[in-house]
Amino acid sequence: MFCFQCEQTTKTDTGAGCATAKGVCGKDEVTADLQDVLIYQLKGLGQYSARLHALGQPDAQADSFILYALFTTLTNVNFNRARFVEMIAEAARIRDRLRGAYEAVAKAAGQTPDVLHGPASFIPATDPTGLLAQANIASVRAGLDVVGADVIGLRALVLYGLKGVAAYAHHAEVLGETREAIAVGIAHALDFLASEPVDLEELLEESLALGRVNFTVMEALDAANTGTYGTPSPVAVRITPVAGKAILVSGHDMRDLEGVLEATKGTGINVYTHGEVLPAHSYPKLRAYAHLVGNYGGAWQNQQQEFAAFPGAIVMTSNCLVEPQALYRNRIFTAGPVGWPGIRHIGNGDFSQVVQAALAQPGFSVTEPEKTITVGFGRDAVLGVAGTVIDAVKSGAIKHFFLIGGCDGAAPGRNYYTEFAEAAPKDTVLLTLGCGKYRFNKEDFGDIGGIPRLLDMGQCNDSYSALVVAQALAKAFDCGVNDLPLSLVVSWFEQKAAAVFLTLLALGVRNVRLGPTLPAFLTPTLIDILVSRFGIQPITTAEADITAALNRKAA
Amino acid sequence: MPEITLLTRDGAHLEFACAQDENILDAAAAAGLFLPSMCREGSCGLCHAYVAEGAYEMGSFSKDALSDADQAGVLLCRCEPRSDLTVQLPYPQADIQRHEIISREAVIENLAPAGAGAMAVTLRYTPHESFGQAADFVPGQYMELAIPGTNIRRAYSMANLPNWDGRFEFLIRLQKNGAFSTYLAEQAKIGDMLITRGPLGQFVLDDASMRPRCLIGGGCGFAPVLSMLRHLADFQDTQPTHLIFGANREEELFAAGDIDSLRSALPQLGVTLAVWRPEAAWTGFTGTAADAFVQYLETSTQTPDVYVCGPPRLLEAVLAVAHERNIPPERIIAERVL
Ligand SMILES: Cc1cc2nc3c(=O)[nH]c(=O)nc-3n(C[C@H](O)[C@H](O)[C@H](O)COP(=O)(O)OP(=O)(O)OC[C@H]3O[C@@H](n4cnc5c(N)ncnc54)[C@H](O)[C@@H]3O)c2cc1C
Ligand code: SF4
Ligand code: SF4
Repeated sequence: MFCFQCEQTTKTDTGAGCATAKGVCGKDEVTADLQDVLIYQLKGLGQYSARLHALGQPDAQADSFILYALFTTLTNVNFNRARFVEMIAEAARIRDRLRGAYEAVAKAAGQTPDVLHGPASFIPATDPTGLLAQANIASVRAGLDVVGADVIGLRALVLYGLKGVAAYAHHAEVLGETREAIAVGIAHALDFLASEPVDLEELLEESLALGRVNFTVMEALDAANTGTYGTPSPVAVRITPVAGKAILVSGHDMRDLEGVLEATKGTGINVYTHGEVLPAHSYPKLRAYAHLVGNYGGAWQNQQQEFAAFPGAIVMTSNCLVEPQALYRNRIFTAGPVGWPGIRHIGNGDFSQVVQAALAQPGFSVTEPEKTITVGFGRDAVLGVAGTVIDAVKSGAIKHFFLIGGCDGAAPGRNYYTEFAEAAPKDTVLLTLGCGKYRFNKEDFGDIGGIPRLLDMGQCNDSYSALVVAQALAKAFDCGVNDLPLSLVVSWFEQKAAAVFLTLLALGVRNVRLGPTLPAFLTPTLIDILVSRFGIQPITTAEADITAALNRKAA
Repeated sequence: MPEITLLTRDGAHLEFACAQDENILDAAAAAGLFLPSMCREGSCGLCHAYVAEGAYEMGSFSKDALSDADQAGVLLCRCEPRSDLTVQLPYPQADIQRHEIISREAVIENLAPAGAGAMAVTLRYTPHESFGQAADFVPGQYMELAIPGTNIRRAYSMANLPNWDGRFEFLIRLQKNGAFSTYLAEQAKIGDMLITRGPLGQFVLDDASMRPRCLIGGGCGFAPVLSMLRHLADFQDTQPTHLIFGANREEELFAAGDIDSLRSALPQLGVTLAVWRPEAAWTGFTGTAADAFVQYLETSTQTPDVYVCGPPRLLEAVLAVAHERNIPPERIIAERVL
């Protein structure tokens, strides 16, 4: 096993990476190796899919499988070895189908089909022991001694960014939004990785290309969410329990939340959001369900305590899952790409078992005094008050905007983000995205002339919304995005954040503060490139970074 | 007040205070550490441990439950400190529960003979506002059942799957002159109330393992094995799995119908019904569960995970075979039913 895809990866004096029997996240050696084999196969699928797209005969079902399969390999998603053995067999079947289709279509078009090597011709073993023996060729570090750490690092950046792109694309697809450009971009990246690229410039170019694809993906996901559930608008969300039976929906998936809300209609069960499902309250069609009563708990890393204490059933719809404790194993369910051995999985959108489980639990016995937080400042809400905002900036009432976006995690270095939010001067506005906000979103930051100082824009993928706002403001002020009084403070944890990061690079957004630590797969050479060409800055201390950001123009 | 330090098998140190007239089990519970235990009167042996350092006094206990009292073996429910103590626990930290184990009422919903002097007993939780109605447990675990108004309290493993109807199914072999057995045989009727405490026990499946599984149940040790197999069937598990059911006589092979339905739900399931002293017409395997285990190991190509549950004699024989064949101890999950 070797995995260094997330921020909490094992760090030792000799280097970084989870390389023992179990990763920090709980992913064990066998699962990690099977995931590597699956990813290797997906590169083969990409080789054929890229060519089928070029010939105008794509296989939509195969492209959809690629998204789902990549999603299962993200940090904290699927830990179920048996599921990977199944998916490996399925990937082999799909690859054979694609090969047949490609050869036929190419011939029909009067071309000699390329004979593809590497992943495209890989034959997976039929039993787990055989598969594990094959895992070496599929490792993210395969070829390290030949190509060097810089190449391995950039290949990893492409692969991990790609995983994030695929995950967002899957969320959009679930709600019926697909784009040819997305499928092409993903197949291209896989085909590219299958060619074992060694040129740093080419690798960087592919990273930026993926960043652009991800912009399209986030746009599609935004269209999917707003198209299905309406335009987000600000709303106060209850964060204290209401007496009665209860279901908690965690992860990111809005359609699964909708499924749970439908399944619980008229049952008297109250539904709570958890983690990154919190922004659901801002969508009119979701909050129209009166039994969507509030949000419970905080970011993903506290779930073992929070789920144990929650007196109802729990549904985990996407990342981030942590090993379920015995106390709640019988009332937690996984859905979509998520899995854990021995935990019930809802594969067909039928949540009736969840309802049964919730009814069997005691529920909350008392309604606690109401406390709320406000969410839902998506692009429409912010741009709706653009005039006020622009005037406030012109009058000097708002000096600066800080976009604090990304994931939370257990690392102590993440206090930086709380300190940052607390130390930001009173004439600055904080925009938040992702689950990192849970560190400080229950505090009162006050307002500036009626504009709340803390504006939550939604999930990590709603960085799309933030970018649209930034572009609109730049237009209003007749300047570039980098000239706005805006600084981005990004906390990354896993691969969705890597995808957003690539989008920022691709759009030329400079002066991004990245933390709490830099990705372990980036070598000093690669970090130099990111710093010098893209203006990426590692975080230092909250105070110093705030000062630097506020004095940027002077500097 | 004496300070107690518990050392777990995996090297964790846990500390708390214990008065001289308090037993260590109760003091640990007061400190939020719920150590494995059952009868709490020195007769089941579940709270067995060793004192590594310090002075203590033991209350009365049964010799069957504690045979090494002369070598610093103690039953924590009977052990009071006379100085600071260091106690070596024979299990890892994970076996210590951090939440108080729930005690609540259940009524007998069904009682039926299950062949060979065994009874199938179904209990159902009495609705309770702050506990809900879920029968939460991991297949393989057991509940302690107490008869109200008596101090009779025994462990019985669930044979069914966790569920949300509050149902617990047990297969109980009636022991001649046994206290709980006599209650079941002579007194118990549908609608009677019992006090349950649980779920308890670490005899559970390693769901994440990719190795073949060999499950061995003997006598009333079959109940938890049945629950585990039902779980595998429920999850459409595909790993090679072999069941060995050991009995002294053919008529003790109860639950034959259950085995048949498991066979159809788990096509890969191999079954050996091992009868030690069969009638002449018996065509199945003749021998003990341990003999059947030897035969299974000879035909299997991969070292399996071994799950064994049964009376002490069966357990010892199977563990001896496993030891001989160099099966690593961490691959063996065993539970002794007294
Ligand atoms: C973890 C665990 C799980 C278990 N799971 C199951 C299960 O699923 N099914 C099951 O059937 N059992 C199970 N058992 C065993 C069960 O807990 C009881 O030990 C068993 O049912 C006997 O209880 P009893 O009260 O009927 O007999 P006890 O009163 O405890 O007597 C046990 C034996 O001693 C003899 N005896 C009692 N008093 C005397 C005396 N004064 N003189 C001589 N002999 C005496 C009795 O004849 C009897 O044979 C389990 C035990 C454990 C520890
Ligand atoms: S996902 Fe992160 S924690 Fe898990 S194995 Fe990979 S690097 Fe380690
Ligand atoms: S923001 Fe990142 S860490 Fe947080 S829940 Fe979403 S994916 Fe997981």
